[in-house]
Amino acid sequence: MYGDATIEVIKKADSLPSLACEDSSLNYEKKFKMTFFKALIADLNVISLFNVDRHYNTVEYSDSNVIVQNKDIDYVLRYKLVEGDNGEFNVRLKLFLRNKVIFKKNYKISNNKIYMFVSHTIAYDINEFMGEPSVSWMKRKVIFARVVANKKTEIVIADYTLAYQHIIIKGGFNTFPKWANNEQNSFYYTSLDGIKPTLKYINTQTGKRKNIASSDGMMICSDVSEDGKRLLLTMAPSGQPDIYLYNVDSKKRKRLTHFGGIDVNAQFMGKNTIAFVSGRLGYPNIFSKNIDSSQVEQMVYYGKSNSACSTYKDYIVYKARESSNAYSRNTFNLHLISTKTDFIRRLTVTGINEFPRFSKDGDAIIFIKNYKAQSSIGIIRLNHNKNYLFPLKYGRVQSMDW
Amino acid sequence: MNKVILSSVVTALLIFSGCADKDPVVDADSQSSSRNVSSSQSSDEVVGVNSETISSNETSVLDESVSDSNEMGMANLEKQMESIYFNFDNYDVRSDMQANVSTNANIANTKANKYLIKLEGNCDEWGSDEYNFALGLKRANAVKKSLVAEGVSTSRITMVSYGESNPACVAKTQACWAENRRVDLKLLP
Repeated sequence: MYGDATIEVIKKADSLPSLACEDSSLNYEKKFKMTFFKALIADLNVISLFNVDRHYNTVEYSDSNVIVQNKDIDYVLRYKLVEGDNGEFNVRLKLFLRNKVIFKKNYKISNNKIYMFVSHTIAYDINEFMGEPSVSWMKRKVIFARVVANKKTEIVIADYTLAYQHIIIKGGFNTFPKWANNEQNSFYYTSLDGIKPTLKYINTQTGKRKNIASSDGMMICSDVSEDGKRLLLTMAPSGQPDIYLYNVDSKKRKRLTHFGGIDVNAQFMGKNTIAFVSGRLGYPNIFSKNIDSSQVEQMVYYGKSNSACSTYKDYIVYKARESSNAYSRNTFNLHLISTKTDFIRRLTVTGINEFPRFSKDGDAIIFIKNYKAQSSIGIIRLNHNKNYLFPLKYGRVQSMDW
Repeated sequence: MNKVILSSVVTALLIFSGCADKDPVVDADSQSSSRNVSSSQSSDEVVGVNSETISSNETSVLDESVSDSNEMGMANLEKQMESIYFNFDNYDVRSDMQANVSTNANIANTKANKYLIKLEGNCDEWGSDEYNFALGLKRANAVKKSLVAEGVSTSRITMVSYGESNPACVAKTQACWAENRRVDLKLLP
């Protein structure tokens, strides 16, 4: 993130160049071609560099000029989907600027059912080609717990738009998945099937699994340090939810909060500071503290009920309940603050917005929006002041990590 | 036992072993990241997801080996125990719930005195994050204190919070939400 994201928006939408797509595919049915086209349009929108034209047009791949409808468009992305002999999904692509090819690339993936990864990669490459700050978060995976029935959940790994979903744990009551490292090849989660809530670990490549720790009442991994060596846990060994720091190598834990009410949802802010949610004012709000000190600082002075947060460097995104009445038109919105300024930036306006998680580079925030009986996953591009929504197919998200 | 079966991502099979309901089935998934490997002439291989399916019963924690008659007795006693309900965003045991606490303590100290008691804290749907789970737990803890005050041994009581994941009622009404802000009592052998 550059500039101060709480007070300035770096990119202005009205000055963006235009971009259109042209499909030259001969293989695949029309329905799939449209699915791929829509996914690509969505990805190209999310990189927030272009005003993307939504018209679907076809053209011969070898034509040297863009089609007449696109003659006034700045950039034209022409692509051709080709099915390989063994079902591989190939994409040939070239980018025109005023009828001149400025970028070419070919892509291949094992089959067309996982087309979305190609679409994300194309958008990532175009963004790189344009020399913009990386959108590598586009290629990261989302892990979430989905409630399918009372005390029954699935843990699902997905791409950032949730177009691809792979159920990795089916059966049982498993919650709060958290990636264990930057490579996203292992994760922690809470199993609620036993007598005591238990934090478990699974490596998805090797299948290795282990129990990390159990606690009466509550056991949640709230955050994993950048190097994957330290965990912030919420545990309640005596019925009292508090925050603990857990060292993965030594397996030693240190209690960080001692308040008699609720302290949860701790997030690392640099090496020795955490932000967390506490009920110490009589309602949930965001606080911070140094790991080695008992002093606690209130971080947020707005909102009557701020019950979830995520951090990136000096920034905190939090969820605030905005109605004075608990039930009438009750909405939760996301807000951004910086510890360096007094500004608050409101990131969402309507509906129930929750589970904010910063991308690793702070460039984007992912969240869940529930609005008019529809759940969607949202992406906020902080520097571009744009929000994008991708509808959820079914079920309700219990928790999510990115 | 640990079975490992290789499969493609879309056709990934979920192998259920033993009592499938109790054993989570883990479908391991490797990289779905993308990498750039080639010059503009050849194709960039985008790695989707290669996955292997793993099934195991080693994570089963609960010992289910209780006799049928025992289970019947427990289930009957559980039905006699009363849920304790709470106000919005609050974990104090209300005065109108005190009679339910006394009923539960009486059963716990007499007919159910050979069992452990599991207190399950629950919340309404307003907030599905850690704070809500903690609220459910504080409710369970408040009930625990009330039971202990009525003579139930603290060593017999275990607690868990299910947050909003175990609603008794799913309609979007205030009456329904009030039903979900509760602590249920379950018996364990």
